Amino acid sequence: MSDAKKIVLAEDNSTLSLLLKFRLEKEGYKLLIAVDGKEAIELIEQHDPELILTDIMMPFISGLEVISHVRNKLAKQTPIIVFSAAGQEEMVLKAFNLGANDFMGKPFSPNELVIRVKRLLR
Amino acid sequence: MKSYQYLIDYFENSPPIIQVVWVVCCVFLVSIVSLVLYLKFLRSKLRKDEKIVAKFQKEYESDLISYLYAGNEEEAISAEQQIIIDKLKICAADEFKRRIVVSTLLRLRNEISGEMAEAIQKLYFQSGLITYAFKKFKSNKWYVVAKGIRELTQLQVKEAHDKVMIFVNHPKKEIRKEVQLYLVTLFHFEGLKFLDLLETPLSEWDQIQLLEVLQRFDEQEIPDINPWLKSTNDSVVAFTLKLAKIYNQFEAKDTLLELLAHPQKKIRVEAIQVLCHLQVFEAKDVLKNKFGELSLEEQIAFFKLLENIFETGDEPFLLAHVNHENFEIKVSALKVLKILNFEKFKSLKENSAMPEYVKIVEFIEHN
Amino acid sequence: MNTSTVQIIILIIHILFFIYASFAIASYVVLAIISAVETKEYMKKNSFVNYKEILSSTISPSISIIAPAYNESLNIIENVRSLLSSHYVNYDVIIVNDGSKDDSLEKLIVAYDLVKVDFLINQQIPTKPIRAGVFKSTNPAFEKLTVVDKENGGKADALNMGLNISNHQYVACIDVDCLLLENALQKMIKPFLEVTDKTVIATGGVIRIANSCIIKDGKLLDVNFPKKWIEKAQILEYLRAFLLGRMAWSRLNGLLVISGAFGLFNKKIAIEVGGYDTNTVGEDMEIIVRMRRYMEEKKEKYKVAYIPDPLCWTEAPDNYKIFISQRNRWTRGTIETLRKHRKIAFNKNYKSLGMLSYPYWLFFERLAPVIEVIGIIYFVILMALNEVRWDYAFAFIILAYLFTVLFSIVAIFSEELTFHQYKKKGTGFKLILISALEPFVLHPFILYAAIRGNMDYYFNKKKKWGEMTRKGMAKA
Repeated sequence: MSDAKKIVLAEDNSTLSLLLKFRLEKEGYKLLIAVDGKEAIELIEQHDPELILTDIMMPFISGLEVISHVRNKLAKQTPIIVFSAAGQEEMVLKAFNLGANDFMGKPFSPNELVIRVKRLLR
Repeated sequence: MKSYQYLIDYFENSPPIIQVVWVVCCVFLVSIVSLVLYLKFLRSKLRKDEKIVAKFQKEYESDLISYLYAGNEEEAISAEQQIIIDKLKICAADEFKRRIVVSTLLRLRNEISGEMAEAIQKLYFQSGLITYAFKKFKSNKWYVVAKGIRELTQLQVKEAHDKVMIFVNHPKKEIRKEVQLYLVTLFHFEGLKFLDLLETPLSEWDQIQLLEVLQRFDEQEIPDINPWLKSTNDSVVAFTLKLAKIYNQFEAKDTLLELLAHPQKKIRVEAIQVLCHLQVFEAKDVLKNKFGELSLEEQIAFFKLLENIFETGDEPFLLAHVNHENFEIKVSALKVLKILNFEKFKSLKENSAMPEYVKIVEFIEHN
Repeated sequence: MNTSTVQIIILIIHILFFIYASFAIASYVVLAIISAVETKEYMKKNSFVNYKEILSSTISPSISIIAPAYNESLNIIENVRSLLSSHYVNYDVIIVNDGSKDDSLEKLIVAYDLVKVDFLINQQIPTKPIRAGVFKSTNPAFEKLTVVDKENGGKADALNMGLNISNHQYVACIDVDCLLLENALQKMIKPFLEVTDKTVIATGGVIRIANSCIIKDGKLLDVNFPKKWIEKAQILEYLRAFLLGRMAWSRLNGLLVISGAFGLFNKKIAIEVGGYDTNTVGEDMEIIVRMRRYMEEKKEKYKVAYIPDPLCWTEAPDNYKIFISQRNRWTRGTIETLRKHRKIAFNKNYKSLGMLSYPYWLFFERLAPVIEVIGIIYFVILMALNEVRWDYAFAFIILAYLFTVLFSIVAIFSEELTFHQYKKKGTGFKLILISALEPFVLHPFILYAAIRGNMDYYFNKKKKWGEMTRKGMAKA
């Protein structure tokens, strides 16, 4: 399992994190969970994951800042999927401008997320 | 012991007012000491509660996740799931734990859709949590009732419709709001039927929330809004005007035009704004003819309308108002005139002696 | 004058002091009770509100944040960044550089890619003229930002410029060095939208003290209890004022002041009354009194709302020198405002504004320090004449002290049961300790500053006017 692809998941809703962790680990990925943007950045710098999943609105450091950190500071092209709540269209646009690859509007279906993750990691 | 006796003697020989003061002092001192002790208790309880809640939440979280992944094709409820259901049933009897279980379910329910979301709702029924929500309806504390309704909204329990409808005209506005959100979240435009029954005002805050909920759904099939535009409840009219604008209800044009004569100024202004958005040309003549009678707000709104749907024929009307004392009207009139007749527009600048006015004209010329 | 007349006069003085003290104590008790009722109600209602829904809504009303800046070069970049990170959708930020002599403007231009734009100002309130111009950012990430550079005219004048520039329905007037929580605007806008039977003219917010708190990139990361006595005592003082005093006055719809550091206004009415008064150092209190007066005179139903949530954090003075000059200014502001609007005092036409709020402010805010000093002088004279009845004096001093401590502890409870911001272990003890010490470490300085304020107001006109232009944007 050491060659399992690593995914960093930044999400402040711990229940959702746990659900997605289970779901994606069943598919053979290795999940690293961050509860806010700050932790996410630390995990990304430490583990250099193959994919990043991040919520846009998080305490302290937002998802947008995570994207900007990965693309500008670390200059990495790691694929990024952002989660957004209803009515955050403006934020999603900003996320794409900063270099996000895909987005999922909440509420979303975990199965659909798996499909998108697979597509990006193929 | 001697000083103790001395104090008592002193107290007994003091004038009554001093005695009263000392008694009050003692009362204060005792209150302070007991409050300080209680504060210590309260603070450690708050800290402890936070930890306990976090612990239980973690536990229920993993229960919930195992439940969701323990299902199989053959049985409706697998053995593993049944164990979790039984456990949650026991937890649900305890109010403190129930709150944490429900909030855990909700935290996930709000974020996901599809099969898993349905499974969460199933668990909510199976563990008997729903009966506790209905029990809340019988409470005489408004916030308990409101919490019950909210819970059913978030878990999308459509079966509660009739029970919730009882509260539609409840005197407490917080309850009414929860009812409205329930109806609209679960039944979408169909849920708006409560507007027919609503006797109380729908605040601006409520209106925005309802519209926000409606905008989450893709369906654009909206019911006939004409009856609501004619409602005797002014706030229903105001809300429907917003609907008309967001969903481009051009079909309601005639009723909208009638609203230009509504007794409430606020409604008349909003009606103008909606007509402007829908680009209804008929509105222009109606308003032009009674321009002098309009309030300033309506006049300003009318000029915004003109900016949107001007024609060459409007030129004389615009010229009559390029010197209007109101800044916004003046600017609107000049903006439109610049497009309709640039020569005329330029001549205004040359003929004006007022530097302030020239500044405005120049600004519009360059922007 | 024979001895019996002197005795009668002395007796009358005693009775007057006694009545005053009883009224003061009674008013505190009543306010504490009202605030408890109101707070309970507020917390229940608030537990239902879903602020997430309103914040993202594009149909929510538009708000302009107006932040005047005077020589704020040191922190202006971070401060603006904090203002730009609100989660509300429909808002913009107007920074009014009030003739700063430092490089604030240059720093802003570089940091936010600003360029000068053509801007047509609807000059509804007269102000000092524009200096370098109006600036907007070329970077779409900062599209909400407008910077106006104008000639120096004081805080009120800068706010008026902001009122002229804004084309939104509501304006949030704040100090540029305030840290706003991301959900501050949607909480503050709520009263305007939910009251259906009267017009809400303004909403006041709470100011919390940010000293020793950890702030990074315009966000509040951790709340700490500061070390210095003066800071701790101010925290306690603010808790008392905001959680007990203002909460109760908002229930009575009698708020006369909303803090200049954070308030949200109905722009139309603020402009109709003529904006901020540039001739007072208490412009934040004055505009509220004037707006209330205007609504009373128009015979329209209105309300000044208040939101007790900890939404706005700012640094409080951490040394006695700055603290005294701040309180000196507050005192003069109160005197000026009350004098300017003395017509409403005890005037039935202004209903509770004239019969309750104004008299309360006059007697228990404006005159309290004066009466206290008279009392102290009187006590000293009695001591000199060896006329002190020590048993009386001792008993009453103890009573007053215990009452003060008790009142502070009630305020601490109010905080613990509602917002519970000071969660760390050991802070509870520190709060109690400061309740016991505050009458010695802070109160004497408040009293001194208030007396200085009175002296400056009546005998030092030069200072009063001289300071006007230089007063800048000192804290809170």
